[in-house]
Parts: sequence; C-alpha cells; structure tokens
Amino acid sequence: MEGNPGGDAGNGSTVLLIGNPNVGKSMLFNRLTGVNAVVSNYPGTTVDFTRGTLIMHKKTYEIIDVPGTYSLEAKDLAEEVAIKMLNEHRDGVVVVVLDATLIERGMYLLFEVIERGFSLVVALNMMDVAHDKQIAVDARRLQQILGVPVVPMTAISGEGVKDLIDILRKACVTDVMGIKSRLSGDAAETPAISGCTGCGRC
Amino acid sequence: MKTEHTAVSIYVGIIGMATLLLGLAQILVFAGGTELTVGIMTVPNDFFRGAWGGLVVAFAGALMLSGVREIGDIQQFSKVVLGAILVWIIAGCDIFAMICESIPAGEEAPAFFNSLPGFISGFAPPYAPAVLLLPFSLVIACLIRRWGSSDT
Amino acid sequence: MGLSEDERWALIDEISRQTVKSGGYKQTLGDVLGELTVKPLTGIPVAIGVLYAFWSIFGSFAGALMTDGFMVKFFDRYLLPWIQGMWPDPGTWLYFIFVGDPVADNCFEAFGVLTSGLFVAIGVVLPAVLIFYLMMTVLEDSGYLPRLAVLMDTFLHKIGLHGYAIVPTILGLGCNVPAVTATRILETRKQRFIMMTLLAIFVPCGAQIGIMLKAIPDTIGWVFLYLLIGYGIFGFVLNKVIPGSNPEILIDVPPYHLPAWENVAKKMWNRTKGFLKEAVPFVLFGVLIVNLLYLGGVIQWLSDALAPLFVYWFGVPKETTGPLIAAFLRKDLAVAQLAVIPMTAYQMISSVVLVSIYFPCVATFVVMLKEGWKELVAAVGVLICVVFLYGGLIHLIGILLGVA
Repeated sequence: MEGNPGGDAGNGSTVLLIGNPNVGKSMLFNRLTGVNAVVSNYPGTTVDFTRGTLIMHKKTYEIIDVPGTYSLEAKDLAEEVAIKMLNEHRDGVVVVVLDATLIERGMYLLFEVIERGFSLVVALNMMDVAHDKQIAVDARRLQQILGVPVVPMTAISGEGVKDLIDILRKACVTDVMGIKSRLSGDAAETPAISGCTGCGRC
Repeated sequence: MKTEHTAVSIYVGIIGMATLLLGLAQILVFAGGTELTVGIMTVPNDFFRGAWGGLVVAFAGALMLSGVREIGDIQQFSKVVLGAILVWIIAGCDIFAMICESIPAGEEAPAFFNSLPGFISGFAPPYAPAVLLLPFSLVIACLIRRWGSSDT
Repeated sequence: MGLSEDERWALIDEISRQTVKSGGYKQTLGDVLGELTVKPLTGIPVAIGVLYAFWSIFGSFAGALMTDGFMVKFFDRYLLPWIQGMWPDPGTWLYFIFVGDPVADNCFEAFGVLTSGLFVAIGVVLPAVLIFYLMMTVLEDSGYLPRLAVLMDTFLHKIGLHGYAIVPTILGLGCNVPAVTATRILETRKQRFIMMTLLAIFVPCGAQIGIMLKAIPDTIGWVFLYLLIGYGIFGFVLNKVIPGSNPEILIDVPPYHLPAWENVAKKMWNRTKGFLKEAVPFVLFGVLIVNLLYLGGVIQWLSDALAPLFVYWFGVPKETTGPLIAAFLRKDLAVAQLAVIPMTAYQMISSVVLVSIYFPCVATFVVMLKEGWKELVAAVGVLICVVFLYGGLIHLIGILLGVA
C-alpha cells in the first residue's frame, strides 16, 4: 500500500467486483460478504448492482457486485451500470474477476480498467474448471507482467477467497507502458514490480 | 476392448429398440384411448403420461439407436448416454409420482399419513414402460464410470 | 492513455501466450453432452423431456402430495368446521368477510379471508411456488437454461426477441415480478418492451398455475395452449408494429456443473421468504376487498353493467366480473373464485384465459412502473387491445367448434 508506483492507491474502503458475465462475481460476492446475491449459472444474472460489507482487520470494506460486462462502452444497460459504478468510486479498489479458462476474453475489460488508472487486484476464478480442462494459467508470471496482485481461486468451493481478502490491501495501480516492457522481457527486474512490496507473491 | 465395444453395441441396440417401440406403443395407446396392461406393464392413456411421456421415451430409443455404431467414439457414446438420461428422467418422474401419491393416506381415511403397508403397496406393479426400462438402462451408467473421459 | 482496440488485443495475445498452457485437451463426456443439448435435432427432444419432468414433478409434489394429500384434508375437515363453529353469528357481515358461506363444506366455496384466503395462499400456492423455485434453481445452476436459450433463439427471433428472452419467460412462470426485472438482459428498448408486455399478458405465474392445477385440472392444457398461441401471435405482431432493432447477440454457454446445494438452498429460501412476505398478505387483503365490494353491492352493479360485454363478446357468464376485479390483486385468487362458478368447460377455459391475459397483478404493475411509465402506459394500451381481440377470437373459435 505504501510504496505503490502509481502513488494514488485506493483508500480501500470500497471494493468493486467487475468482470465478464458469468465468471462467478456474484458467487465471490456471497463468499466475501455473506449477503445473498442471486447466483445462477447463466450470464446476466446481476442486472443491477448489489452492495454488501466485509469487515477485515478492523477495517470495513464496502463490496459492490457490478453487473457483468465485456467492455466499458455503454452498449447495454448492464454496461451503463458498470461504468456508472466505476465513475462513482474512483478511489475504490477494483477486483477484476477473470475466468481462468477464458482469460483472453476477460483481459480486454481488465485493460480498460487499467487504463482508467484504478488500483486493482486480479482474481483468477474458476481454477477448478481450468484444471479439469487441463488449462494451466501461470498466475505468478501474470502477476509479474501486470504488476498487480493476481490471486488464483475457486469461488464456488471458497478456495483462495481468503487469499484474495488478504491481498485487497495490496491493490495497486499499474500502467500499460510498464506491462509492455515487462512483457518483452527486457525489464524483468524493474523497480516497478519490487515497488509493489509486500504482496509476497512477486 | 474391441469385443467389449461389440457386446455393448449389441446390448444398447436391443435396449434402444425396445425403448423406441415402447415409446411408440405409448403414443398409440393414447390415440386408441383405452389403458393397456400387459403382465407387469401398464401403458397409461392420458395425454401427459401417455402421449407426451411416450414421445420422450421414443426419442430416447432413437437416440440410443443412433449411437450404436462405433460406440467407443465419444460422440457416438454421448448420444447413447443422452438417450439413457431421458429414460431416467421419465422413470424418475414416474417413481417420484408414486412416492408422492403413497405418502398421504387416502382421501376418506381419517389419518394424514399412510400406513407403512399402504405406502409400500403404492409401489406394487404394474409399472409404466420407462420404469421397466430403468434397470436395463442403468448398465449405461456403469459404462459412463468405466469409460469416463479416458477411453476415447 | 488510451489504447486502440487492436493494440489491446495484441497485448492480450502476447500475455496469454506467456501465461496460459492448455495441455492436450480432450473432449469430455460433459462437453459432448453440452453440445448435443444445443443442436436442434438432439436438443429439442431433450427440451421436451425436461419440460415433461418439470411439469410432472410440479404436479406430483404440489398437487398429489401437498395439496390433495394433506392441505385439502386439513383445511376442509379441520380448519373450516372449526372456524364455522367458533365464529359467532353467521348472519353478520364480519362472518361473511372472514368465514364466508356458513354451509360451505370446502375451502374453495366458503370464500372468507380466514378460510379460502388461507387455503389459497398456504394450501395451494405455497407448495406450488416452493417446488417451482426448486426446479428453477436447479435448471439455472446446472447450466441448462442458457442452452435452452440457444435452442429457442430461432423461434424467439421471429417474435422480435432473442434466445435469452426464455429466461424472463421461465422466471415469469414463477412470478412476474422478478421476470420484469430480468428483461434488462435484453438489449434494446424494443425488445424489453415486447418482453414485458408479453410477460404481463401471456405468462401465468406459479401461484396461478398451482391453483389452476387444483381447480381445473382437466382443462388446464387448453388454457396453456391458448396462452402459448397468444404469446406467439402477439409477439409477432408487436415485432412488426413497434419501431426499433432486434439485434443478434452471442449467447455465452457456461459449462454444465452440479448445482452447489448451499447456493440452491439459499436461493430457495430467499425466494420463498419473498413470497411469504409479499404474496400471502396480498391474497388475504384481496379476499377482504372482494368481500367488501360484494357487501357494498359494487360487484353486483358492475356485473349487470358489463353483462352484455361478457355474455355477447366473450361468451362467459356475467358472474366472472367479481373474479376479474380480484385478478388485479391476485390472479390465483381470481382462478379460485372462477372455479366455483357453474360454467361449461368452454366458458371455464375462456374465463381463465381472460383472467390470465387481463391486467397484471398489482405487484407486477408496480415493477413495470419502475421500468418506465411510458412503457407501462403503452403496455396497458396493448393489453386492452389484446384482451378484446383475443377474448373475442377465443369466443369465435368456440362458436365455430360449436361449444360456446
């Protein structure tokens, strides 16, 4: 929290769960808050946002379950709601939930969030399904490239949810230039990563 | 492996054919209008359990038959499984209906719950075709476990 | 710092190349079954089977086990005589409102707040709603619902909707209130409007289905047929009449998985709690209002005034006016009332269809208002046309078949 490269890390009081439809945001929300959001196995269950609270290390977080979107371009009601939520909580922490079996698709949204300069954490959900489909995602490398904490998890069984909660405080801002240079491999040891101290995962 | 596949193909072929014929028979019985009881089998004649249920049973038989060739191939085997699932659905619903009807005591009886002998007698034969097909189609459940996703 | 779309995708490709490895992936049985349930040739038989199961379990549990097995006996044999015996003075208006007919021997005919009201709410509708929500939840959580959406896409496109319209439609079979909210998954205003209007008019709710199953088991199939045909016809017409686009969307099909039971239980509990809190008071209140209107002579006056319309245009007895007023409060209540009016089978079918397509219940009305008052006004306009046209059409069909 202290040494974030971007400097303007969120105050951590609001946490927005954002991601593609049907990646398990509502299930994660229920795990985090104990509030009952409606969870279904089809995309588009959450058409409005849901709020709940999580108390952790004597700190109260307000958790918002944002409807699933593929992009932030306001093409339908759900996307409009998502954009509105982001704009209202510019200082919040964004948890971008990715489906581990389809991370390419979710990353488009991830980049839009990164470009808007939010401090964020990536939750790599549905690791169980990925495992069944024999898809291996290198979370450590992903974290290195992105420069933000990446937590592998399975919301449906609750695996990794605790890790995610612990790491919320370590949410940080990243930038596309840094990602590009780390991606090409010539800046693997830049201070940008070590600057994200304390995640313990780099 | 090869001989096992052939044996399974023949078995599924017979069950599939029986399923298809029973399904069609159910639809015919509905069209004819009178209930038919042969041995321990009864074919209902109402629209829902007779015609609609019969249609599903006939579909199930057709699916099984369509998957009989090269049953070792997962695409083919899946059709057989889907047919079996349809039989399980119909049979499951019939059995659930029997359970639901035998828990309460009859309309005129003073008690709320049925007596144990009364409850058990609710499950006496004759049965609907799908229920009779159920034990034979359960072999496919064993095959799912056995073949699973490994042997394809 | 904005990236262009292509730059973003290029970055994403590179990242996934470096982080994702998909080891020799083989199709599992689940995957192939998933595909089979989407292809029309194999998917439609499965859909017919699932529908059978839905209906069969609904009938067995709500009808045979709960209502006919226990509730009818409890209400008719114990509660009704007990209340009739202990409430003083059968001649008073209080008795009429709360107990109803002093000589009735079943809770359908008594029509008091504490007799028919409780019977309809707890004895008939609660078990129906309970089992409906359970099955709905299993369908949702297993991943079958989006597959059904893919299957239905072609048909629903003809009536100006897309596959996902199946979600609000099925939800509406439980209760129209969450269904109206679910229309937001449709993309354009046109689609949302068509869906909302069709929901309000042609989709009977779980409470209503439960009571129909109890009150008119022999003719319920016809009622459904008429509603289904109406859904198709008027969807088609609305699609032609209303301006706006009806874009294709990509339907995302999630993998099948076994429902997590705690999630199922949680959802069931939430929905049932919602029902108990909102529907039960409405039913009791509805009986109260209708009884007061009877006492005040309002219903008598209305049914005389509307008699020509009902008798000549719709071909149903003028006594159906009372139930139609009750229908605005609760449709289940209205069907219960209709069930005790002596009518021919044809009249029963058409009056139940009328109750279904005529005004949405108060709760649905309120959520529709929340979605936009313009839409609501337009929907009511459509509704009035539909009631007249379709009611007349059913009468015409009845005349042609020689049953009206």
